[in-house]
Amino acid sequence: MNKELERQVKLTSLTDAVGLVENGSTVAIGGSIIRRHPMAFVREMIRQGKKDLRLIGWNNGADFDMLIGAGCTNKVETAYVGLSMFGMALNFRRAVESGAVTMVEHSETTAIDRFKAAASGLTFIPSKTPLASGMETECVENSVHIKCPFTGEDYIALQAWTPDVAVVHMHMADRYGNILLDNRRMMDNEIDVFIAKSAKKVIVTVEQIVSEEYVYENPHLNVLPKCWVDAVVETPYGAHPGSCDTRYDYDAQHFELYREMSRTAETFKGYLDEWVYGCKTEMDYLNKIGIARLLELTRARGVRS
Amino acid sequence: MSSPGYTIAELLTVVTARELRDGEVGFVGIGTGGEAFILAVGIPAAAMRLAQLTHAPNFVPMFGPIIDADLRRIPKSMAEHDLIYWPSKCQIPLDDALDMFKRGKIDVGFISGTQIDRYGNINIVVIGDYRRPKVRLVGCLAQTDHCAHAGRTISIIKHAKRTLVEKVDFISGVGFLDGSPDARKRAGLRGGGPAKLITTLCVMGFHPETHEMQVESVHPGVSVDDVRANTGFDVQVAPDLRDTVPPTEEELKLIREVIDPKGMLLRALWTGQEATIGV
Repeated sequence: MNKELERQVKLTSLTDAVGLVENGSTVAIGGSIIRRHPMAFVREMIRQGKKDLRLIGWNNGADFDMLIGAGCTNKVETAYVGLSMFGMALNFRRAVESGAVTMVEHSETTAIDRFKAAASGLTFIPSKTPLASGMETECVENSVHIKCPFTGEDYIALQAWTPDVAVVHMHMADRYGNILLDNRRMMDNEIDVFIAKSAKKVIVTVEQIVSEEYVYENPHLNVLPKCWVDAVVETPYGAHPGSCDTRYDYDAQHFELYREMSRTAETFKGYLDEWVYGCKTEMDYLNKIGIARLLELTRARGVRS
Repeated sequence: MSSPGYTIAELLTVVTARELRDGEVGFVGIGTGGEAFILAVGIPAAAMRLAQLTHAPNFVPMFGPIIDADLRRIPKSMAEHDLIYWPSKCQIPLDDALDMFKRGKIDVGFISGTQIDRYGNINIVVIGDYRRPKVRLVGCLAQTDHCAHAGRTISIIKHAKRTLVEKVDFISGVGFLDGSPDARKRAGLRGGGPAKLITTLCVMGFHPETHEMQVESVHPGVSVDDVRANTGFDVQVAPDLRDTVPPTEEELKLIREVIDPKGMLLRALWTGQEATIGV
């Protein structure tokens, strides 16, 4: 009887996964507002000193803001950069006001549609959303006014987004790169699947690694089979300070701290020194957040409380 | 102005509820705090519930991807957990929910703005020059989608000179553009455009021909001069200007005893931090 040949293991370290991001490349980051951004990955990108990145997403927050504050990017494209009820993203605001970073406007659907187009193998997708808005008059990048070939109606052709790398944070994966989402979850982040499918290289950070058998038992939870994933990293609490669906809540205290330390470029340097450069690994970061706080955020433990 | 026996939030709730029709679908976004929450979320949510209870039992609220949520059971907090488990009939992927705009299935979009001009064009992107702004704001969010596709949009705002401006610095939400005939249709937009601005001083609609904002009713105790003094352009007044009909006893009873007894919506306690609308 033939022995099974070794299959490729896509599970890798955070350091090696972040090593796949090249300076000057286009990186798509998943998550939305204060939910489920791959923050552990973002912190490691800053530690590794990534530069000149073009960042794309659909609703971003501390992920883009931190990378902007750390000087990793010169161009961002998304429908939102902010901290929700915790206020504005101040590094983003400063950088765009000074001209240090260019922001290209999108609406939620125009950003999502660009990812969807690429995920469907299309080079563009028509949309009526930008017509006559500032997006058409001021931000004509990668958009063209067209007429429907059948009805003659006006549309804007949105060029598809095919980032060099996409990073999304999800719940479970096996070592081979099959990615599972929990059954109950906030449906805003279903967009992550399109973001992943649009990219040339796909990196997924997950809360936990599960057995192959668990994947066999739950094929309906698999949103990205291994053939569409390049690297998987286990980063428990990897969305912190953001939330991760029913697994843990967003950390209001940390967002308030983040906002306060973002008030000036100098104070933000202090934030990075303390929480990013000062924590050599993500375990250092989680130890600094502390078990008491993490337990508080995990209080509901995935069931209705 | 002496105390009228109801709060401004209650008045705006009642006025908004009267604008909603049975069988319609209304879209609200969640994600702010304080006073902004009350205007963008609390009042629309309370208004949709009041409409369900008084004349529109089939009104369907959409809070992003959460469709037909049980407005009898507002979650106890904004914790992620509480939102995910908010009893609702339907939670679909957000892109499906937003595609309903494009399909023309969203009758009412509730939107807010940092700047709004006389034709209802809205700006939440920058103050100042777009390329080098004086103040950079959050971005378009889904506002461009609301304004392009919704059957109509309703804005609930604090009436202020710096909000109601002569010209917006960026159009993140298209109103009636320059007010010229069929401007929206000629641009290729299918949605109906802005219908009402419900402010802390008055209710404004849009002239059916010029598409200019016009004051339709002033709230009790407010004069047209008050409205003019707080508007950054010379606002028109509808020929049949009237007084806003204040809340009835029945409407107030419903709000205070049934819909929002704990102030989760109209005092922002759903966010964990009490707030009120300062006038």
